[in-house]
Amino acid sequence: MILLPLLCFLHFGALDVLPASSPDLTLLPPDGFLQTWKMSEKVRVFTSADLYGHIDGGAELFLEFGFEQLTVQLYTPNFRPSRTPKQENELQVEVYRMTDPIAAAGVYLLKCGNESLDPSFRERHAINKYQLLFKRDRYLVIVNNVEGDEGIQPAMLDFARFIASRLPAEKPLLLDESLPKKGMVKDSLRLIRGPYALQSLYTLGEGDILQLRRSVTAVSARYGDANGKRTVILADYPDEQAARGAFLHVQSNLDGYLKVEAKNERRLVFKDYAGEWGVISLAGRRLMVEVHLSKKPA
Amino acid sequence: MNKNAYTSMNSILAVNRRDFVKALGACCSLSAGGLVLGVPDFAQEKQPPSPVETNIADFMKVPRTKHSLPGPLPGHVIKVTDKRSLQEEKSDAKVIAGMFEKGITSLTGKNMKESFGMFFDRHDVVGLKVNPVGPPLINTRPELVEAVIEWLGGNGISKQNIVIWDRFDYMLTDAGFTSQRFPGVRIEGLQTMDENGNKWRDKDGNHVSRENFDQKVYYFAKGIVGKNVLGYKDDEFYLNQHVFNGEYSYFGKLITQRLTKIINLPPYKNTGSGISMATKNLGYGSICNSARLHAPLFFKVCTEVLAAPVIRDKLVLNVTDGIRGQYDGGPDKNAQFVYPNHSLYFATDPFALDMICHRELMAKRRQMGSEVNQHPRFTEYLYYAEKLGLGVASVDKIKLVTLLA
Repeated sequence: MILLPLLCFLHFGALDVLPASSPDLTLLPPDGFLQTWKMSEKVRVFTSADLYGHIDGGAELFLEFGFEQLTVQLYTPNFRPSRTPKQENELQVEVYRMTDPIAAAGVYLLKCGNESLDPSFRERHAINKYQLLFKRDRYLVIVNNVEGDEGIQPAMLDFARFIASRLPAEKPLLLDESLPKKGMVKDSLRLIRGPYALQSLYTLGEGDILQLRRSVTAVSARYGDANGKRTVILADYPDEQAARGAFLHVQSNLDGYLKVEAKNERRLVFKDYAGEWGVISLAGRRLMVEVHLSKKPA
Repeated sequence: MNKNAYTSMNSILAVNRRDFVKALGACCSLSAGGLVLGVPDFAQEKQPPSPVETNIADFMKVPRTKHSLPGPLPGHVIKVTDKRSLQEEKSDAKVIAGMFEKGITSLTGKNMKESFGMFFDRHDVVGLKVNPVGPPLINTRPELVEAVIEWLGGNGISKQNIVIWDRFDYMLTDAGFTSQRFPGVRIEGLQTMDENGNKWRDKDGNHVSRENFDQKVYYFAKGIVGKNVLGYKDDEFYLNQHVFNGEYSYFGKLITQRLTKIINLPPYKNTGSGISMATKNLGYGSICNSARLHAPLFFKVCTEVLAAPVIRDKLVLNVTDGIRGQYDGGPDKNAQFVYPNHSLYFATDPFALDMICHRELMAKRRQMGSEVNQHPRFTEYLYYAEKLGLGVASVDKIKLVTLLA
């Protein structure tokens, strides 16, 4: 086992281009992994300055949550498995190091879909024949099965286990503790640190309308219960002043398609383009947004 | 066109200024609102961005031709679905070819030869605008392109006069558009992009693809330049990917000088809370220096670039490849949200086509539990196109015919 990191180091040392600082290289399965997988092409490392060079659409979401570095390595088999006569079988590993575990969770929750699982893999993950996505600590890892060949799906899991074993231990995040539990729609929890994540839920206004500034993490979930359906967004600011500032900012810059029906110093009620109702409430250092309400809030 | 002479749109649109500014504002506001491809503008938190002045009015002054958008069948959309088109993740070329024929003949009401005659003659040089992003899941599939080529070739167009194209050459190769698979057909990227460094500069320091773009034909956006664009390491990196970085986005010479007709073959996928299908495939795929436009203009580009005569008068047919769909996580490939949709969609009118597909994809998002943001900004550009007379966006005016195999 001691040899593996050393072999990795020697291997990368032979590459033409090495990033100046790339601690995540040691997370990658080594050349010849499982006696099958050769490292193919150069390892590529992206920072926040050039993430767009790798992600063709969607880099902004990583940047908004808090991104540090992406390490990408392609692997090809050194023989043709009998079930997979094509030579194109490839596994691509992407290791995203985010700024903190909540940042990793935020992106994960937007990308995991309905989380189809492999019971043999212990990390929080979603897997199908094309992709295994998992998170651990502040890392988000994607193993892409480029051709979707089911014959190499077990290898995807072996790659993921190898990487997971080298990551810091996962700590409980208690992401949804501030949200009401009753009526919460399964898998609807989302995190928000800025306009990109918010935009996927609802348009309250331009830019960083909730003044999250990529540091405050809002939580959101959908609900469907006896009171009807709704989406709730909760943001806890560092102090009451910040929360009040955010409330006033929303009030002053509310999207032009939202019609204000009532407002006071702590509450704003509006009707939207679809005829649904919304309410924004300020309580201490907490801002609560409820949208998609079928009835005007009392 | 004189680069410094463009006309304000307000004098062209037959709408009052207030409505127009509101519409533009809605389009422009796409950026800070946070679509996936856009760039967040954290500096502009208090004031909505001002409408960006473009050269759309110059486009609108040019007289239309018999082939101008929305073509002979405004508001007509045909959807052909066949479950056999994708089985065990394998595309069936024969089934897809059959779907293609059914779609074309249903759209035109004529047989394949007569349909060909509606749009082409045998001397045309036809560009097939594919989308190679996200292979092998969500790119335009080669099997559909083969069916189109068979149709064109069978009616007398030489393979040398058929060009499969997209922005970037290396992406075409990755998606399977190679000379081995398409012998005799031209396969061209508007530009070369070398992700690793400086190989894209010639001895004079210019981008090697610079001459691929026609500096006389452009989309102009006043004050919007490709500098300090978020997500790009530096302006050099931006130039590597976008060739130019000023206020002008030039059309490829392939489009302005060589192609006489265009068939648009987009994939079926989302971009944030909107879609990245027919109008975006050409809106962002025909010009250089496009990333600068994402933040301030985003979907508006999908209307205004298609209004340019070099697209408006050559784009005769759109076939959206919905054999697979991606309902979330787009526009880049995201396997967790890809699903078999088994359908092709046909229209001469790309705006009606996108409206239908937008509504379908939002329904799919809802069905799968993804959030659906129904804000008007995600379809406003389609209504804008209707106001410009480029297509039909009002759902009650669109005729959708669904055919099952």
